[in-house]
Amino acid sequence: MALEIKNELGSIDIAMDVIANIAGGAVVESYGVVGMASKHQVRDGFAELLGKENYARGVIVENTEGDIDIDLYIIVGYGIKISEVATNVQSTVKYKLEKTLGLNIKSVNIHVQGVRIINTED
Amino acid sequence: MDKIDGKMFRNMILSGAENLRQHAEYVDSLNVFPVPDGDTGTNMNLSMTSGANEIEDREDEHIGTVGRHFSKGLLMGARGNSGVILSQLFRGFSKAIEDQDEIGAEEFSAAFEAGVKTAYKAVMKPVEGTILTVAKDSADRAGEAAGKESSIISIMEAVIEEAEASLKRTPDLLPVLKEVGVVDSGGQGLVYVYEGFLSALKGEAVEAGSKPAGKDTFVNDVHEFDDFMSAEDIDYGFCTEFMVRFEADKREFDEDAFRQDMSEFGDSLLVISDDEIVKVHVHTETPGEAMTYGAKYGELIKMKIENMREQFREIQEKKDASAGRKQEGQAYDTAIITVSSGEGINELFRSIGATHIINGGQTMNPSTEDILRTIEDEDVKQVIILPNNKNIIMAAEQARDMLEIPAVVIPTRSIPEGLSSLLVYSPDEDLEQVREAMEASLEHVKTGQVTYAVRDTKIDGMEIRKNQHMGIKDGKITGADDSREATLKQLIESMLDEESEIVTVLIGEEGDAEEVERIISSIEPEHDEVEFEVHDGQQPVYSYLLSVE
Repeated sequence: MALEIKNELGSIDIAMDVIANIAGGAVVESYGVVGMASKHQVRDGFAELLGKENYARGVIVENTEGDIDIDLYIIVGYGIKISEVATNVQSTVKYKLEKTLGLNIKSVNIHVQGVRIINTED
Repeated sequence: MDKIDGKMFRNMILSGAENLRQHAEYVDSLNVFPVPDGDTGTNMNLSMTSGANEIEDREDEHIGTVGRHFSKGLLMGARGNSGVILSQLFRGFSKAIEDQDEIGAEEFSAAFEAGVKTAYKAVMKPVEGTILTVAKDSADRAGEAAGKESSIISIMEAVIEEAEASLKRTPDLLPVLKEVGVVDSGGQGLVYVYEGFLSALKGEAVEAGSKPAGKDTFVNDVHEFDDFMSAEDIDYGFCTEFMVRFEADKREFDEDAFRQDMSEFGDSLLVISDDEIVKVHVHTETPGEAMTYGAKYGELIKMKIENMREQFREIQEKKDASAGRKQEGQAYDTAIITVSSGEGINELFRSIGATHIINGGQTMNPSTEDILRTIEDEDVKQVIILPNNKNIIMAAEQARDMLEIPAVVIPTRSIPEGLSSLLVYSPDEDLEQVREAMEASLEHVKTGQVTYAVRDTKIDGMEIRKNQHMGIKDGKITGADDSREATLKQLIESMLDEESEIVTVLIGEEGDAEEVERIISSIEPEHDEVEFEVHDGQQPVYSYLLSVE
């Protein structure tokens, strides 16, 4: 599935993976996010933490007639204000996508799938 | 100084918070990453203030306790990326000293490093050239300094020196900063916090100018007017804002008395003051008098007067204007957009149901945007577009694809095709049925055009001289003649066959109704099954347009 943008010169197809990768890239650079979780692994109680090359797995992009909705499944470091981390991720992802692709992002939904305790001793 | 205890740490925090607060606006102005929303300073200030509030009233000597409360306040009040990072830096910092009564150089520098460690752990892929980098570089330097020095002040000086140097390097690490020509905003905020720490260590803490009122923020009040108001209903017409900086030789300031006196001038009164300054916001009929009164207390700074009645009228006018446009642009269930030229043809299109006419045709092709623009801001549920020219069909199709409502393009290549397809339009059927019927009607239409040659040419083995009249049938030249009348007659006859029923002639700007009459009366006797219809199209370029169905 791809997103199609038309202009007077023709059309531009952007694969959903491109959107997911840009969003994922913005997420892992976001402060407070220590991992991404695939949506389904979590159901079994094993939050599989994904490496950065697997961005697309914690990122679900939906295109409804040109409106882009993004769902992000993240793991936040323990002892960080979760709501603030999530808000920052939302604004960063929206900004990055709008800036790089010129897309209109309708929503960025954050699903905090876990909190990882960061061992400060080591 | 070799040791710091809880009280000193508290002073450092308050001083750091105050120094950051005073520079928050500048920090905001640097904010370009990750989102250039200009709120880093504000966010860091709110986060830091939240931390400072937790310890402000505490008198603990135990530095670990102070750190714990500070850390908690920071966590709870963390705002924005840099605020969250700040909270993590001091969370690690505080954790490292949590069991201590007081700390020396060694512990102090170790606490900086612990803060950086904690802060870095909370991000998968740290972006260098941010507050993180500044914190890391300066903490490294603290470690070095602690090996040689036992003075806390010396260590803090080393930390700041390196933090500033690191801050200067941020544009080399983060290209967006270089592009804009700024250093990292969060890093700059951290430097201000550290500077405040140092001031406190030196016993010259940044003065926390009593409960401040955010000195620059309020001369920008937004006034909203309710719909039911009219300009005449406004009792006090001038929104007046000013600040007074108190002066020793002027009247002594008493807030209650001041507020009481100000309330005489009007309503919507706001009086905010600290030791040095009072800010006033009042709606009054006599702004000058209100300010004159204010001037009794000191020097007036930052004045602003706005005429609210005038603002209100402008808003109303804008509203009326936009309401007017809305009324003109009617609501259509189905917008039928057609491209044509010539008042008579436009009128014909309108009379048979076209809702929007775009002027255009052989010499000026409307763009996709022109087509879209005709119906923007209108309440339209679906759209039918008749391009009426083969060169416009593409633009029309693009417009169709860009519309968010159902739309179809009937590929009409001429005005007569457009007219005859529109004649079969039935508003009761769904769009797809309509499109099929309209397209099908095109098969039965033959289009003829009479125009003149703009230069000598040779087409299809036919010599045509400049200014000769040409007959064109469905895009192919059928004949050329010096006589326009002869050209038209020959064209009509070439288009007629046994199945022809209606011949429609649209007379252009250069056409002549009498010519058409003569031709019809000469052809009719031979073709008594054919009906002739003549309209005054007033189209340019084509002296005659005709369709045969």
